[in-house]
Amino acid sequence: MTISDEILMAYVDGELDDASRDEVEDAMAANPDVARRVARQKALREELRVAFDGVLNEPVPERLVSAARTAPTASPAASVTDLSSARIERRERAQRRWSLPQWSAMAASLVLGVFVGQAILRSPASSPIVARDGRLIAQDVLAEALSQRLASDPSAAAPVHLGLSFRTKSGEYCRTFVLREGAVLAGLACRQGEDWEVESVAPNEPPATTGTGYRMAGAALPLTILQAVEGRIDGEPLDADEERAARENDWR
Amino acid sequence: MGQSVERVREQIVESLPRLRRFARTIARHREDADDLVQITVERALLRFSQWRPDSPLESWMFGIMKNAWIDEVRARVRRDRVFAPEEAGEHVGEASHERQVNALSIQTAMAELPDEQRMAIGLVLVEGLSYKEAAAVLDVPIGTLTSRLARGRDALAAMLSDHEARGSSHPSPLPRGERE
Repeated sequence: MTISDEILMAYVDGELDDASRDEVEDAMAANPDVARRVARQKALREELRVAFDGVLNEPVPERLVSAARTAPTASPAASVTDLSSARIERRERAQRRWSLPQWSAMAASLVLGVFVGQAILRSPASSPIVARDGRLIAQDVLAEALSQRLASDPSAAAPVHLGLSFRTKSGEYCRTFVLREGAVLAGLACRQGEDWEVESVAPNEPPATTGTGYRMAGAALPLTILQAVEGRIDGEPLDADEERAARENDWR
Repeated sequence: MGQSVERVREQIVESLPRLRRFARTIARHREDADDLVQITVERALLRFSQWRPDSPLESWMFGIMKNAWIDEVRARVRRDRVFAPEEAGEHVGEASHERQVNALSIQTAMAELPDEQRMAIGLVLVEGLSYKEAAAVLDVPIGTLTSRLARGRDALAAMLSDHEARGSSHPSPLPRGERE
């Protein structure tokens, strides 16, 4: 009789009932080819175990033991929530340039107040972000970029770089941006009627070099902004075609 | 619930070696694997009231780890798009570079499998879970689990035997584009 790969696999994995197991073992005895296939599957299993068992004998890093013993069981203010933040934190520890401690954990509004206040609103007439009726509205070069520029068509020379565009659950369009005039800021703006309302903004790592700073500016997009995106996005970001279509429809 | 937080904490400490082993089968880099364990531990403690003691603590945490990893991969894809689009091609280059590492160990072969096959193999072949338990961790029907296992095994066997047969440093074309 022939034995399917599925049955052989289930045999090696110990998933067969007694009767089926006997059948496989009879087939192995009668047919060396079946026996060889089983041996190969067993060898693969064994090889995998040997390869990954090593970690069981390594000392467990102290930080993991301490996480198990002390990590909070109620909603924390600052805990590692995903790998990206873990990595970003690592990077920030390594190359911290901003003196404000733990700014990423601050409420976005506070970040808005501090950084927009210091860095942007210094000369309101030409500022890319203005406060109006208690909201922060993009204007000038930023508003123009949000309405016109496509993320899929980047320009290293442009003062504003667009990152990703998406729709929120309530149907508005939002876009991430990096502003490289004066202070280097990253932010998230969402379409509200005729305006782009800036919902979140945070300092970005200054570009390592001017001129080709485009890549650097994007690569350090602040956690605050990533979290704001995660909180607002519905489904997946727009692809290049959808983004173009949204622009043609004036982001409505 | 019946389980005190302190008791659960100690059970988690005891499970750390196995959690680290499963994380190594999922994440390619050691440091990522331990970060993944830390995130899993933190998330598990935050929601430990959701754990039903009739299912093994480790299986429950494997499921949390799986979700944490999927979130991470999604976040990475998104981040790559948030970042400069011109970087989009770099990961492809990285992957093909990885293919040319000299010794194709079973770990590197595992790393070439799609996430879903790697997790199925990690749970059943390395962690020794039953099909039923593994399917529950991955939140898929048993038939889906077994087909991932079969494809993962075939791909591993092909990569390894190709490597041995030719004794070369160039593994065979990879089953990366495979879909269910």
